[in-house]
Amino acid sequence: MATFLQQVVNGLSLGSVYALIAVGYSLVYSILLFSNFAHGGFLVVGGYAAYGMLNSMGMNIWAAGAGAIMAAGVVAIVTERMAYRPIRERTSATLYLLIASMGVSIVIENVFVVTIGGRYRALPEVFPSQPIVLAAREAGEAALRFFPGAAEGLTPLLTISAFDLISLGVTVVFLLLLQMFLMRTRWGLAIRAAACDLRTAGLMGVNVNLLIAIVFFVAGALAAVGGIFLATRYTLYPQLGNMITTKAFVAAVIGGLGSLPGAVIGGILLGLAEMLTAGFISSQMRDFVVFALLIATLIIKPSGLFGRDIRDKV
Amino acid sequence: MKKFLSIILAVAMFAFPAFAAEEVLVGEISTSTGDFAAYGFAEVESVKIALEEINAAGGVKVGDKMLPMRVIQYDCRTRNEDMVNAARRLVNQDKVVAVIGPSGSGLCISAAAVFNRGHVAHLGTLPTNPMVTMDERGKVRPYNFRICFLDPYQGAILATFAVKNLNLMKAAVLYDVSSDYSQGLREFFVNEYKKMGGEVVADEGHRGEDVDFRAQLTKFKEAKPDILVFPTMGKCTPLAIKQAREMGFTCPIIGGDGYGDFWWEIAGEAMENTYWVSHVDKGDPKLKGFFDKFEQKTGTECKEFMNAMMAYDCLYWLKDAIERAGSLDPEKVRDALEQTKDLKLMHCTLTMDEFHNPKGKEGIMLKAEGGKTSYFATIKPEM
Amino acid sequence: MKKSLLGALFLAALGAALAYVPMDYYTEGILMLLCINMIAAMGVSLLTGFTGIFTLGHAAYMAMGAYTAAILIMNYDVPWLPSVLAGGVLAAALAWVVGVPTMKLTGDYYAIASLGLCEAIRLVIENWQSVTRGARGIPGIDPYTTRAVAVWFFVILALFMFNLIYSRWGRYFRACRDDVTAASLLGFNTPSIRLVSLLISAFYCGIAGALLGGYLSFIQPAMFDMMKSTELTSLVVFGGLGSMSGTLLATGIITLITELFRPISQYRMLIYGAVLVMVMVLRPDGLLGSREIWEFRRRRAGAGKEESR
Repeated sequence: MATFLQQVVNGLSLGSVYALIAVGYSLVYSILLFSNFAHGGFLVVGGYAAYGMLNSMGMNIWAAGAGAIMAAGVVAIVTERMAYRPIRERTSATLYLLIASMGVSIVIENVFVVTIGGRYRALPEVFPSQPIVLAAREAGEAALRFFPGAAEGLTPLLTISAFDLISLGVTVVFLLLLQMFLMRTRWGLAIRAAACDLRTAGLMGVNVNLLIAIVFFVAGALAAVGGIFLATRYTLYPQLGNMITTKAFVAAVIGGLGSLPGAVIGGILLGLAEMLTAGFISSQMRDFVVFALLIATLIIKPSGLFGRDIRDKV
Repeated sequence: MKKFLSIILAVAMFAFPAFAAEEVLVGEISTSTGDFAAYGFAEVESVKIALEEINAAGGVKVGDKMLPMRVIQYDCRTRNEDMVNAARRLVNQDKVVAVIGPSGSGLCISAAAVFNRGHVAHLGTLPTNPMVTMDERGKVRPYNFRICFLDPYQGAILATFAVKNLNLMKAAVLYDVSSDYSQGLREFFVNEYKKMGGEVVADEGHRGEDVDFRAQLTKFKEAKPDILVFPTMGKCTPLAIKQAREMGFTCPIIGGDGYGDFWWEIAGEAMENTYWVSHVDKGDPKLKGFFDKFEQKTGTECKEFMNAMMAYDCLYWLKDAIERAGSLDPEKVRDALEQTKDLKLMHCTLTMDEFHNPKGKEGIMLKAEGGKTSYFATIKPEM
Repeated sequence: MKKSLLGALFLAALGAALAYVPMDYYTEGILMLLCINMIAAMGVSLLTGFTGIFTLGHAAYMAMGAYTAAILIMNYDVPWLPSVLAGGVLAAALAWVVGVPTMKLTGDYYAIASLGLCEAIRLVIENWQSVTRGARGIPGIDPYTTRAVAVWFFVILALFMFNLIYSRWGRYFRACRDDVTAASLLGFNTPSIRLVSLLISAFYCGIAGALLGGYLSFIQPAMFDMMKSTELTSLVVFGGLGSMSGTLLATGIITLITELFRPISQYRMLIYGAVLVMVMVLRPDGLLGSREIWEFRRRRAGAGKEESR
C-alpha cells in the first residue's frame, strides 16, 4: 500500500510538470488549431535564460525566473510573427504550420548546440531538495505526520523531495494565475472568444494579431517555468525539450486538444500512468504506456476527455 | 548561394586525395558531443598531447625512415549510427593504419564488423564489455583490441569490494538496458556477488534516455537494500544518485568505471559516500607529469582522467606496434599489436592475451568525498 | 503512352549506367543513400501527396522492414533478397493491422496517431530484447546492399510507382485526396482505397528500411524515430504535394546537401531546420507544386490541352 501511494506521489509530481507544459500547448491549439511543436524550444530558451542569469549575473531565483519568462515569451512572439503569421495569412491549412513548427523546434535546439554547446549544465542549487517524510510508521502503527528532514527512529513510508513539493506548488499557482487571467480580464475574455471562433472574434473587434501575440507570450511563459523546473531536476541541455514536449503533447491530446482543464487532467493522468506502470508492471514499459494511451484515446474518443466533438457532418 | 557552396565543397572533397604525403595516418573516433562528451574531450586532448610528443621526437620509425604521424579525428556524437559511418570513412576512404577509441562498449561493438571486414585494427580506449574483442560464438575478433580490463573482472572487483571491504550483503541494482556496458557489468556483478553469498534484493532497468528513476527507486525502498549498485555511465548515473538521496537513501552507492568528474556538477552533495572502479590512480606520482601537462595545455584540470590516460597510452602502443611491424600495412600492424609483450606504457606494462585484452591489470576503488574522488583501495579479486 | 515507354527506357538506361560505371567509395555511398531515401520518399509521397493522408510516422515501417530483414538473415540464414522482400511485406502487414482502426480519423488526428504509432513501435523494438537486442541495435549485418542492388530496386519501384499514379488507381487516390466525401458519395469505396495506398506506402518504406540495414550493416531503434518520419514527410512537402518527380527532386537535393555538409555537421541540423521554416513561409507549394517535372512545358502551350491523367 505504501509503495502504491509513493508511486502515486511520484506520478502527481511528474504529472504536474506535464500539465504545466500541456496547458501552454493546448492554449495555442485552441486559438490557432495547430500543434506547435516548437513549444519545447520555448522551454529550453527559458531554461538557458535562467541558467545564464543565475550563473553569470548572479541574480536570485525570482529575478532569474522573471527574466526567463520574459525571454521565452519574447522568443514565442518572434516565432509567431516571423514563421507562423505569414503562413497563417496565406492559407488555412494547418499542415504547413505544423511542419514550420518542427523546423523552428530544430532551429532553436541547434542554435544552442552551436553557440553554447551540447554539454549538460546543472543549474545552481537554488531549490532545496532534501526528502520530506509525509507518512511514517512507528513500530507497528501508521501515523501520518509531517516531518521536515529524515525522521529519527521511525520507518518512513511516504517521502517527497522538497523540490517536488515546490514544483507542484508553483504549478498550481501558475495555473490559478492563468485561470484568473482567462476568467477575470478583458483579454482573457477575448481569448476565450477566439478559442470558440477566431474569425468571428476578429469581426467583433478583437485585434486578432495582438491577441495571438499575447497567447504566444503566455504559452512561452508557462513553458519557461516548466523549463526551469525540468532543467533543475534533469540538468539542462538543448534536447531537453524533445521528449517532455512529446509527452506533454500526448497529455494535451488525451485531455482534449484545445481544452485547458483537459490538458491539466491529461498531464496528471499521464504522470500517474507512467509511474504506476514503471512501479508495478515494468520500468521499461513506462514510455510505451504513454503512446498506448494516445492511440487508445484516438481510436475510442479522438477529441479526448474534454475536447469538442469534431466530426464532419455531411 | 547554397548550390555554389556545395559545388565548391564537392570539388574540394575530390581534390583532397591529391595531397597524399608520406606520413603515418591514424584514425580517431571520439564522443565529442552527446552523452559522453566529457569522456570524449579528455581523449581528444590527450591524443593531441601524445601526437605532439611523438612528432617532436622525430615521429614513427617505419623501416629505416622516420615519418610524422597524423591523426584524423571524427566525432561520433555518442551515436552508434555515426560511429559506423565514421568507421567506414576511416577504413575505406581515409585508409588509415589503425583506429583509436572511443570508450563506449556499445559504440565499439557496433562498428566491429566494419574494422574486421576492412582489415584495419581498432584499439578501444576504455570499452569493457567482453564482446568488444570477442564475437557471439566466443572467438576472438582478429582486428579488435583494447587497453583496459574487462567487465567480468570489473564485476568481480565490485562484488569483492561490496562483500569484503564494505561488508554489505543486500544489493539493489539499477542498470541501463540500452547499454552493452551496463548490461554486461550488471550480469558479472550479480554472478560474483551471489557466489560470495550476497543477495540481490532488487534489480531494475531503465532506458538510456531516461532521466527519472523515482519509480525504480521506490521499488528499491520496498526491498530495503543496504547498498545500491549503478553499473552505468553518462549523465543518468549522477541523476539517479541525486534522486536516490532525495528519496532518503543514505547507504553507499557503488558503480563501475563510468565515473566522470562532471558528475559532481550534476549531483552535488549527493555524491558523498559513493565508490567507483578505476583503471588508474590519479594521485599516482608517476602520472603527475602527464596530468600537469594536460592541465597546462587545455587550461582545465584533467577530469575524466581514466579516458585521458588510456587514449594517450593507446597512441604510444600503436606507435610501438608500427615500429615493430616495420611497415604501414594495416595487416602487419595488426599482427604486431597482437604480439605486444611487456610494453612499458605510462600507466602500466602491457601484454596481450589471446583475446586481445591486457593481462594482469589491477583494479582501483575510488571514494567520492569532499567534492572530489580519491584513491581508496586496490582490489585484486580471486577469479 | 509512347511518352511513358520512352520515360521507362530512359530510367532503365540511367539505372544501368549508375549501377555499373566505376565510382569511388564516397560517391557510391551517396548514390546508395539517395536511392534508399528516394524509395522511402516515394512511399510517403503516394500516401500524403496523392491520397491526402498526412503521416508523421512512416519511419515505423522502415524499422519493420529493416528489423525483419536483419533478423531473417542473421538468425535464420535466409538469403538477402527474400529477406528484403519479406521486410516490405511485413511492413505492409503492420500497416494493415494499425491502419484499419485509424483510417477513419480525420487529417490532424491521423497525423498524431501515426506519430504515436511510430514511437510505440520503436519502443516495442527496444523492449523486445530477446529478438531485437533492444536499444543496442543489431551490428554486423551482411552488407548486401551493393550499388547495383540499390539502383535496381529504385528503378523497378519507381517504374511501378509512376505507372500506378498514371493509372486508374492513381485517379482513385487523387479523388480521395481532393474530396473524400464527394468521392464516397459517388460510390468509391474510400476506406479501401485509402488503405491500399497506406499498404503500398508501407511496403516501399519497408524495402527502404531493409536496404538501409544492408547498407550500414547496422540498425538501431533510434534511427527510426520521430525525427526520421518528419524528414520523410518534409521531403514530400518540399518537393510538392502531388508531384512524384518533385519528391524525387527534393530528396536528391536534400540528401546531397546533407552529405556535403557532414564535415560541418554541427551547423547541418541548424540549416536543415531553417530551410524547413523558410520553405513553409516562402514557398509552401514546394518545388514543383502538384505538377510533374515534364508537365511544365505543356502548361505554357495552352491551358486547355491538358492530357487526362
